[in-house]
Amino acid sequence: MTERFRSKAARHLIVAGAALAVPVLLAAQATGQADGVTRDRITVGMSAAFSGASRSLGIELYRGSMAYLEEVNRNGGVHGRRVHIQAYDDGYQPNAAIQNTLKLMREDQVFLLFNYVGTPTVTRVLPLLKKYEASHFRLFFPFTGAQPHREPPYGSLAVNLRASYRQETRGLVDNFLTIGRTRVAVFYQADAYGRSGWVGVREALAAHELKIVGEATYTRGTKYGDTLDRQVAILQDVRPDVIISIGAYEACAAFIRDARKAGLDVPIANVSFVGSESLLALLAASSTQDGRNYTANLVNSQVVPSYESATAPVVKEYRTLMERHRPAAPPGFGDGYTPLPFSFVSLEGFLNAKLLVEILTRIGPHPERRAIAETVAGLTHIELGMGSPVSFTPDRNQGSDAIYYTTVRNGRFVPIANWQEWRK
Amino acid sequence: MRIAKLFRATMFGIFLLFGLIALSTSALCVYTVDKQLSSEYEANSRAIAQSIANSSLDIILNRDLSTLQSLIDQFKELQGIKYIYIVSEDGDWLAHTFVPGIPQEILSASRLPGETVERQLPGFGEFVEVSSPILDGIAGSVHVGMDKGLIALKIQTAIGQQIYLISIIFIVSIIGSYLLVNLAAGPILRLDQYARTLAAPAAPGGLPPGQAQALLERSDEVGQMARLYRHLAMGGAGAPEAR
Repeated sequence: MTERFRSKAARHLIVAGAALAVPVLLAAQATGQADGVTRDRITVGMSAAFSGASRSLGIELYRGSMAYLEEVNRNGGVHGRRVHIQAYDDGYQPNAAIQNTLKLMREDQVFLLFNYVGTPTVTRVLPLLKKYEASHFRLFFPFTGAQPHREPPYGSLAVNLRASYRQETRGLVDNFLTIGRTRVAVFYQADAYGRSGWVGVREALAAHELKIVGEATYTRGTKYGDTLDRQVAILQDVRPDVIISIGAYEACAAFIRDARKAGLDVPIANVSFVGSESLLALLAASSTQDGRNYTANLVNSQVVPSYESATAPVVKEYRTLMERHRPAAPPGFGDGYTPLPFSFVSLEGFLNAKLLVEILTRIGPHPERRAIAETVAGLTHIELGMGSPVSFTPDRNQGSDAIYYTTVRNGRFVPIANWQEWRK
Repeated sequence: MRIAKLFRATMFGIFLLFGLIALSTSALCVYTVDKQLSSEYEANSRAIAQSIANSSLDIILNRDLSTLQSLIDQFKELQGIKYIYIVSEDGDWLAHTFVPGIPQEILSASRLPGETVERQLPGFGEFVEVSSPILDGIAGSVHVGMDKGLIALKIQTAIGQQIYLISIIFIVSIIGSYLLVNLAAGPILRLDQYARTLAAPAAPGGLPPGQAQALLERSDEVGQMARLYRHLAMGGAGAPEAR
């Protein structure tokens, strides 16, 4: 083959390639596919636990979001585009979350990432977002109160709506100290989530010159059927006034059951991630079966208002749309799962979707990922109906600081009216 | 009956030999695998501890401990690593992987960054713990516990495989020796029959003449013995006929 022939062939190849590429590029420009947006659809990507011991969290978060998005989509969508959630199951496992995220970013080319569930999963996904920073991918409203996506170097890549675990645990500690319960022990999941809550408790106590009196851990994925007697024994030995529990509903419910069986009757507090209704359902069933009350002395902090409360305007809207649309579990993950009529988790999903729609609306009719950060930074005093407005600034990527405390009354988690009933 | 006795003696010899081989190679295997694996695991654990110590500094100083926990959780997935914990320079716990809690033996143990210690933790097992200082110890230390049970398991597996191989060779040897002994014992049996025939030609069960002739024509020791018997039976003096 001569040099002249080679260069001629190369020219032909370039011309042919350009001829093929131009229509494709034009089509992509017309539909905006490059940023996960088509003429009639915006796709956001979700990776969450739809299977395993924490499946209720992922499913209910998805359902809550879908209740709001269904309503928006039925009324014409956002600038004429339906909002679609491309959801994948990670089973609350970090490696699966990484794989899902890569798929969402590379193959599905979603507009943004949304509604991720869990600290151990999200903390492992954050470096991926850093790697793809040039593509302007952002993670919106992860269902975790941990710090890594609230602080440098990853804080700028995530947008949070909920308050942090530090705020939740600080509120719990302060309230219990006020009523004389100073010996605080911690039961937590042996991973980044548990550590995040543990740090929150430790720092809150340190502010009062106190220390954690004892701690016990469990392995992520522990089932309600497992026994947690060893953890109970460890904490019983330190004679705590209160136990703050940083875990998911199956393990936390098992711990409460075994603690009560062992005569450890001090208040046990859980943070918002636990999945209050799922925890309560397990304990209520065991209470009936064993003839004991496992639901007494429970205090759960929440980051959304109680759906039993009539004071927050969003609650009425949430209940109306949940009943109207009765959202299903993500496709392929509904088998054997009984959806909850209402829950704190689905209300959080609802609020997440509501704020997402507000952001997409503000980005405008020609959405591009590069516009997301600027739009979010300009969101101030957004009224979602929680009772207090939501604001973001370039230096603050968390919209809400609100914490709500609940306890069980008549088989439901309701707002705490008076902490004095637990006074020591 | 004589064959069986001969075979039993051979088998006993083979059994003794193989027993000796199995014992000596197993002892060598235990020593070699234990030494090599322990050394390799300790080196790996030390490398991991150093790697965590190097990565931890920025996290401890600037970031949330959940990131540190996430980091050590990833290393704990490695084979042989049973626990990891990080303590501050003041001895405060920063992160760990213990479930259901930190063992009392570790809580009360003295810790010197850089040292290697063997620990027996009731309910957990036996461990070799290596440690690495963070920023020369002024920011704390990382401790990695290597499971000695895994080394024992690997030794057991190696010995098991070795014994399995030796057993196969042993069985093949037994079958082979049985065939060889049979091969050697057949002519001796016939020689025995021939001697009885010479002693009592009319007695039943004597050696047929064709087989007797074949025996006499053998050039080996059996043939020589047969010819010697015939010579003696015929009352001959002097040396029998040689072939």
